[in-house]
Amino acid sequence: MSEALTVDALALREEVKTKYRAVAVEPYSGYHFHTGRPLAQQLGYDEAVVAILPDSAVEAFAGVGNPFSLGRLKPGERVVDLGSGGGLDCFIAAGQVGSEGHVVGVDMTEEMLGRSRAAAAAMGLRNVEFRQGVIEDLPVEDGSVDVVISNGVINLCADKRQVFAEAMRVLKPGGRLQFAGIANGREIPAGALRNIDLWTD
Amino acid sequence: MLEQSGFIDVRIGPPVDTFGGAGGESKARLFEVFGYAFLAHKAK
Repeated sequence: MSEALTVDALALREEVKTKYRAVAVEPYSGYHFHTGRPLAQQLGYDEAVVAILPDSAVEAFAGVGNPFSLGRLKPGERVVDLGSGGGLDCFIAAGQVGSEGHVVGVDMTEEMLGRSRAAAAAMGLRNVEFRQGVIEDLPVEDGSVDVVISNGVINLCADKRQVFAEAMRVLKPGGRLQFAGIANGREIPAGALRNIDLWTD
Repeated sequence: MLEQSGFIDVRIGPPVDTFGGAGGESKARLFEVFGYAFLAHKAK
């Protein structure tokens, strides 16, 4: 059964693009959320793992939680990151799945893709690639991955059912979705839910 | 929504103070917004 979306999905997508293009280009400009190494520390990321990554791999990180906190990835697993941004979670995933595994980051902004691809190249990673696309229509084969990860992105999509349907489509039977998102403990007024600016600010 | 989408064995981790100390903290406090990790499985 379909439900009416609270905001125009395409308009929200454009607003999100604008916001995260800015983060990619100027990660230290100051946003309503933390970014980079301080954020990774606040969210409980393994400090030793993050410490050895170059700044270019970490500074545009803008997640909302730690998708690895409910379980490490296994060697050899194939992974897709929905909204990979600056690539931090892909790089951590690449370390966990090892050389026999593979990680695909999907992002819709050229600026984030440029940043994450450059960081991967600088680190010489061969088990990570980044593809341009939207997470409601993933550029990934049916039933081809063991784990779908995501961090702070699904909560920015108006049509979450479509995102979960896509995650289900690309996962192998028995595969898992592990992601971080935000949730509110107090009801948000309907007027605020319809205000696109409040989704991204 | 995860279960309605066909996922099973859904787990949710403890809340994380995602916006604490950030510019968006006051708005996050107003609506008790926190970050969470989620784990869900596709049936075999």
